[in-house]
Amino acid sequence: MSFGELGTGALIVYLIGLAGVAELARRLRRDGSASDHFLASRDLGVFVLFLTLYATAYSGNSLLGYPGEAYRRGFSWIMATGFMMSIIVCFHILVPKLRPLAVRHRFVTPGDFVRFRFAGEPGADALRAAVAVLMAVALANFLFAQLKAMGEMAELVTDGIVTYELGVVVLAAMILVYETLGGMRAVAWTDAAQGVLMLVGLAALGTWLLVAAGGLEALTTSIRDVREEATFVPLATEQANWASTIVLLGLASIIYPQAIQRVYAARDGRTLKRSFALMTFMPLTTTLVVTLIGLAAIPRFAGLGEVEADRVMPLLLGEWAEVGPLYAAAAIAVFLGALAAIMSTADSVLLSLGSLLADDLLRGSDGQAAGADLGKKIAAGIMVAMVVVAMAARDVTLWGLIELKMELLIQCVPVFLVALHWRGLRARPALAGIAVGTAIAVAGLVFDAKRIGGVHIGVIGLCANLAVACVASRLSAYRPDSRSPV
Amino acid sequence: MRVGVRRRVRAILLGAVGVLYLVSIPWYRAPGSEAPIAFGLPSWVAVALGCYLAVAVLNAAAWLLTDVPDESADEPDAGES
Repeated sequence: MSFGELGTGALIVYLIGLAGVAELARRLRRDGSASDHFLASRDLGVFVLFLTLYATAYSGNSLLGYPGEAYRRGFSWIMATGFMMSIIVCFHILVPKLRPLAVRHRFVTPGDFVRFRFAGEPGADALRAAVAVLMAVALANFLFAQLKAMGEMAELVTDGIVTYELGVVVLAAMILVYETLGGMRAVAWTDAAQGVLMLVGLAALGTWLLVAAGGLEALTTSIRDVREEATFVPLATEQANWASTIVLLGLASIIYPQAIQRVYAARDGRTLKRSFALMTFMPLTTTLVVTLIGLAAIPRFAGLGEVEADRVMPLLLGEWAEVGPLYAAAAIAVFLGALAAIMSTADSVLLSLGSLLADDLLRGSDGQAAGADLGKKIAAGIMVAMVVVAMAARDVTLWGLIELKMELLIQCVPVFLVALHWRGLRARPALAGIAVGTAIAVAGLVFDAKRIGGVHIGVIGLCANLAVACVASRLSAYRPDSRSPV
Repeated sequence: MRVGVRRRVRAILLGAVGVLYLVSIPWYRAPGSEAPIAFGLPSWVAVALGCYLAVAVLNAAAWLLTDVPDESADEPDAGES
C-alpha cells in the first residue's frame, strides 16, 4: 500500500470517528438553548477544558505558519515561544474579573459583557456592533486560514489522491456536520482527542529531527553553514518587532471570542485556573517544537520561496515517511494530528462566529436571545463563503493572515480589559477610540506600512485608541444612573 | 496561605514574569553580531529560552495563586462610575 493510499484510509477512518463523536454529543445534549449549544451547559472540566483550550490555541497557523516563519527568519523566531506564553500571562488581566460576571449574568457571547457593562449608555449599541464587526472580520480571516491549511494538509497526507479543493470542501462539510449536531460539547470532545494526537505527533517528529541532525549543536552549526545570518543577534527593528509581537498576540488573543467563550464555559473558577496553569507550559511542547522543525528545514531545503516556506512541515514529514513503514505510519499520525488541530480551531471559530453574529449583531440591546438555530444557519452560510474564498486565494502566507487579524482584534482591548478594571470608561469614548485605532491599523495595511520601526501598526493604533478612550471618558459629562441595574 | 499574602506573592511572580520578558529580548547585545554557542544554541537564543522556561514556571504558580471566584463580589465594577 502506498503512502497516499495509507493516508487516505487513515483520513476516512478519522472522519468516521468524528461523525460518531458528533452523534454521541447530540444524544447527550440537554436542551436546544444557546447556552447548551455554544457553552456545553457551562460544564467543561479541567482535562477537557485544558485540551480544548490547547487544541484551539494551536491551529493551522501554529503548525504550518510558525515552521514557515522560523524557516524565513531563523533563530529570532524563538520569539514565538515567548508570545504564545504571553497569551496565558495576559489572561490574568481578563479572567479573574470577567468570570464571576459571566457566571452571574449568564453571558454566552463577548457582546453580552459589552451589553451589560455599558447598559443604558448613549452609544452602547453602536459600540457592541463595532466590537462584533471587528471580531467577526477577525474570525472570518481565521476561518479562511484554517480552511487553506486543511486543504494543504489533506492533499499532502493523501499524496494528491484528495486534491486541495476537494479537501477544503469535504473537511469543511465535516466540521459543519459535527458542530451543528453536537455544538460546544462535540467541539470540546473532538478538541480533546485532537490535542492528544497533536502532542504525541509533534514530540515524535521533534525527537526524530534532533536525532537525525546529530543533536542541537550540530543542527545550529549546519544552519550557520547554510545561512549564517539566521544565527546572528537580531537587528534593532527585529527586536522591536519581537516586543511588539508579544504585546500584539498577548493582548489580542485573549479577546478572541472563542477564548472568551471558553472562560464562560468552564465548570468553575478552580477548573479554569488549573487549566491555565497547565496551558502556560504548552508553548514549550508545541511552539518550541514547531520552531525547531522550521529551523531544521533550513539546511534540508534551501531556497524555498515566501509562500512555499509554509510547506516545510509537510515536506519534512514526507522525508520522515520515506525512512521505513513504521516511520510512514508515524508520519501519517502526525499529519492527522496536525489536520485535527486545524479542524479543531476551525470548528471553534465557526461556533463562535455563529453565536457572535446571531447574538451580538442581530439582537438588540433588550431583544430576545437569538438562540442556537439562527447561529447554526449563519455559521453554515459563512462556512460556504469562506470555502469559496479559500479555493480562490491559495497563495497567501499564514503568518501574514495572523498579523492582519490581530491588528484589528487588538482594537477591542479597551472595551474588555480597560472596562473591567476602570469604572470610568464610557461607551462613546470607547467607540471613538476603536474608530481611531482601526483607522490607523487599516491605513497602515492599505498603504503597506504594516510596521513602523518594527512595531506593528495595530499596536500603534491601540495606543491612540487607548488615549482617545481614556481622555474622552475623563472629559465625558455622562454619568450612569446609580439606580441602574449595573 | 492567607489571601493577602497570596495576592502579594502573585503580584511578585507576575512582576518577575515582566522582567523575564524584558531580558528575553537581546536588546543589550550588538544587533547583527555573531554569538557563541551555549547549550547547543546561539547564546542569545539560549538566554531567551531560559527566560521562557522560567516564565512558564512562575506564571503557572501565579495562576494557582489566583482567585477566580464564581460569584461576583464587586458588581459595581461593571457599569458604574
